[in-house]
Amino acid sequence: MSDVSRRHFLKLGACVVGGACAADALPSLAQATDGGDITTLRTTLPYPRMKLAAIGQLIIGREQLTTYPDQASPVVLVKLGRPAINGVGPDRDIVAFSRRCSHMGGILNFRPGTGTFHCPLHYAMFDAQKGGLLVIGHATDNLPQLELEVDAAGDVFAVGISGLLYGRQANVFA
Amino acid sequence: MSSIYHGEDRVPVPPADAERFTTVCSYCIVGCGYKVYKWPMGKEGGPLPHQNALRADYRNQQPEQVGTWISPAMHSVVTERSGRRFNIVVLPDKDCVVNKGNHSIRGGTHGDVLYAPDRPTADRLTHPLLYRGHSRLPTTWDEAIELGARVIKATLDTWGPDAIAMKCFDHGGGGGGFENNWAVGSFFFTGIGTKMASIHNRPAYNSEVFASSDAGIAPLPSAYLDAELADTIILIGANSYETQSIYFLEHMLPNLGGGTLPLKQQVLPEELHARGRMIIVDPRRTSTVAVAEAHAGKDNVLHLQINNGTDIALLNALSRLIYDQGWHDQDFIIRRTNNFAAFQQANLAQSLDEAVRLTGISKSQMMQAAEWIAKPKAPAARRRALFLYEKGLIWGLKNYENVASVVDLALLTGNLGKPGTGCGRLGGHQEGYSRPAYPGQRPPVNVDDVAVKGGASKVFWVAGCNPVGGTLNAQQFRASLAHRTALVNQALDATSGGSLDEKVAAVMTALDKGGLFHIVQDIYPTETAQYAHLVLPAAQWGEMNLTSINGERRLRLYEKFMDAPGIAEPDWKIMARMAQQLESAYRAEGKAEMAARFSGFTWSSDEDVFRAAAAGVKGAQEDYGDTTYAMLKVLGTNGVQTPVQGLENGLPVGTTRLYMDEKRFTFIPAAWPGFPPQIQALMDDPRYPFWVNNGRANHGWQTLYDDARKPYVMGREPFPHVEIHPQDAHRLDIVNGDLIELFNPYGSVSAMAVVTDSNAPGHVFMLFEHPNGWLNSLTTDYVDPATTIPYYKGTKAGIRKIGTMPGLNEQLTFIPTNQA
Repeated sequence: MSDVSRRHFLKLGACVVGGACAADALPSLAQATDGGDITTLRTTLPYPRMKLAAIGQLIIGREQLTTYPDQASPVVLVKLGRPAINGVGPDRDIVAFSRRCSHMGGILNFRPGTGTFHCPLHYAMFDAQKGGLLVIGHATDNLPQLELEVDAAGDVFAVGISGLLYGRQANVFA
Repeated sequence: MSSIYHGEDRVPVPPADAERFTTVCSYCIVGCGYKVYKWPMGKEGGPLPHQNALRADYRNQQPEQVGTWISPAMHSVVTERSGRRFNIVVLPDKDCVVNKGNHSIRGGTHGDVLYAPDRPTADRLTHPLLYRGHSRLPTTWDEAIELGARVIKATLDTWGPDAIAMKCFDHGGGGGGFENNWAVGSFFFTGIGTKMASIHNRPAYNSEVFASSDAGIAPLPSAYLDAELADTIILIGANSYETQSIYFLEHMLPNLGGGTLPLKQQVLPEELHARGRMIIVDPRRTSTVAVAEAHAGKDNVLHLQINNGTDIALLNALSRLIYDQGWHDQDFIIRRTNNFAAFQQANLAQSLDEAVRLTGISKSQMMQAAEWIAKPKAPAARRRALFLYEKGLIWGLKNYENVASVVDLALLTGNLGKPGTGCGRLGGHQEGYSRPAYPGQRPPVNVDDVAVKGGASKVFWVAGCNPVGGTLNAQQFRASLAHRTALVNQALDATSGGSLDEKVAAVMTALDKGGLFHIVQDIYPTETAQYAHLVLPAAQWGEMNLTSINGERRLRLYEKFMDAPGIAEPDWKIMARMAQQLESAYRAEGKAEMAARFSGFTWSSDEDVFRAAAAGVKGAQEDYGDTTYAMLKVLGTNGVQTPVQGLENGLPVGTTRLYMDEKRFTFIPAAWPGFPPQIQALMDDPRYPFWVNNGRANHGWQTLYDDARKPYVMGREPFPHVEIHPQDAHRLDIVNGDLIELFNPYGSVSAMAVVTDSNAPGHVFMLFEHPNGWLNSLTTDYVDPATTIPYYKGTKAGIRKIGTMPGLNEQLTFIPTNQA
């Protein structure tokens, strides 16, 4: 496995230099290499470290839509207002997930009342407070959750993803 | 990170030269098509389309819904008998007309259940086990078969065929199929000749739809296409979003959403069409109700929240309302049915007021249902209604009348043998039934009561099922099994180091004193195997070639793509080996007639058995005629819908829908029978105030035999859940995640509370099967005397809070599943 990951890392570098990557993947890759601050945590893929939000600007229950680890991967960050599994911030309630359903990639809608993500394609439902646990539906994995860090300034960074994003062979493009 | 399960963040893609196989899901009746890719460990396909077998571009994000994606749960690394390791990917097939690339949570996690010595499937049975030294220890096939055959032969010679009891799979899909079923039937019916036979999920050898066959209707008369064409789909006792998921999502919902209007126009251009409507009969507001409403709008979905056990009163009331309005199909009744007068006398006598009182459903809701089923669209255009029922009806109050009352309603309204109509099972597992005739009579003997608990049988062979949790009144069943098998344990314990002769003699003495010699044949060491003296390791789906049909009779070949673990063998080979041992033993004694009964097990391949099994399906809905494996290989995941009419250009020609001819059917009278004494006694006892309904859940399959090895599924439901109404929960001081005890005079079980208003107050719903809590400890011993089918779906119980499991709440979700 480690050999493969090394190969991926090398391809990533070559890709940036040669410009052979998908165009929409470039900005995040650029950030990853420019920053030189790649955190892989428990995985071996070269995840970029990307700022998603500033804690002070988050409003309970309101989704913040962005992308990670590249522009082709929509993600959602939300402050739930109650402690959540893998939640960060002073209230341990800030979580972020892929917005692509881990069944067939439908773009999920968030309902703040229940704290659930809903897929319009085949009605899968995931629990934001419980690490993206499947409530019901036909996904074959819980919803991929972003690994978050908060720095001293109160900025929330994504540093990795647990679980495979729909529609990819690896979370970080080769 | 927490203990919430997530798969890996990358998967290997099959290289362009990966081996390819076609198969079908091992689980539910819908039978989605899958493609299997296999390639050696240490190799991977590249991200460019020409570099991988999927022709997919993994440099970019795959699009939603139509993309090609391998979820981590679809991949595994297996080790074959040669020691070589392979990657395997089991991917939903976009070219299959059943699923069109879609998959359920169950079928989409097949990678997780392939045998691998370094994954949760490592506990597969790899070798026969024999009771020795107060434990079950590995042994050779030779010793296992010789001991088993000698005990069986001595029992047969001493007490006759009914001293050998069996409870076996009879299904298609995983582990079953025409091949294994034919071998099981040949052994027990042609060979042994026992009447003490029972089918995996019930105490007898019976059809679950005797009433339908008596009416002249096969269990699976329609095609999935009919759900796309129907004006109204009626689901009775079925939670199809969770249990026939892809039939529901790919064929029913598109109709409800109006997506099949062009198809309706094309197939039936002469009549007016609208989007389909759905009626759902269920005591619970299920996720199926919620999803149907979300997709079709509330105005197009009617949920009849029926009181447990009262289906006959409801269905007969609907028949009566329709008949009183003159919406019945007089022409169909005259041309194509018999026995209308008996139906009129029994079913149409149902008082509407009594039906309202019993069912809890208002007269106006009944009238609305009657309109949706039968009020003509135009003077000359009848509505096309598709009646689909499953376990809620089959395992309801009284199996025979329950099924008869829906069959009668379909006949009254002329809904058979026309596009967009039908009356049949949704189905549980797939079908692959082919056996020589059962030697018993109707109603068949109750094997649980007579052979096991009653002591009439001395040997009990269980294959591919787990009755200690799955059968009715299971606590008493376990107690009896424990007691009777312990007598044999003690006898065997006293023969340490002894010869086979001594062991067999000791066993026979114990059997004479009420002991039971217990054989279990399975893929995992099930809870039932914990009582066994002999455990025989079987191959599973993917480890042999097998054939089955789905819920629209679609026959396909499920190819072998990997080795069975250790020295496990396909079920048909195990049966053949035992039969051959018995044949030679009888031949050695000069008993030619007995030897002949066990002859004929000389197949040398899966296909040999498939061809032999063709004899057992002649004239049935499964009739596959001269079809061969080679033909099925050509037909791939779309296969052919049985019955096969014949061969054309070397390929079988099938049947889309049954009864397009002028076949006549028979009304089966079915009046509301009242509650049986066992249930009435519980209803009259204030200690057991809760009705306990039960069923399956989306994420689990049957006894969870595979799911127990899927960390994703067990993370979702480590203990069986009980849905309890907030009012009841409040009164009993129960909150989400509390461990509670349910109890009645039949037994007791613990479970985990989920507080939700999906059931009416006073009614709870419990997961039907879970190794950490068997609902069936609570079911009564009542069976319909006409069919020997249990009333699994209804019992009554008291509920007591046990307490809270620390840490459990935090890791689980309690959001109601019926919001879409």
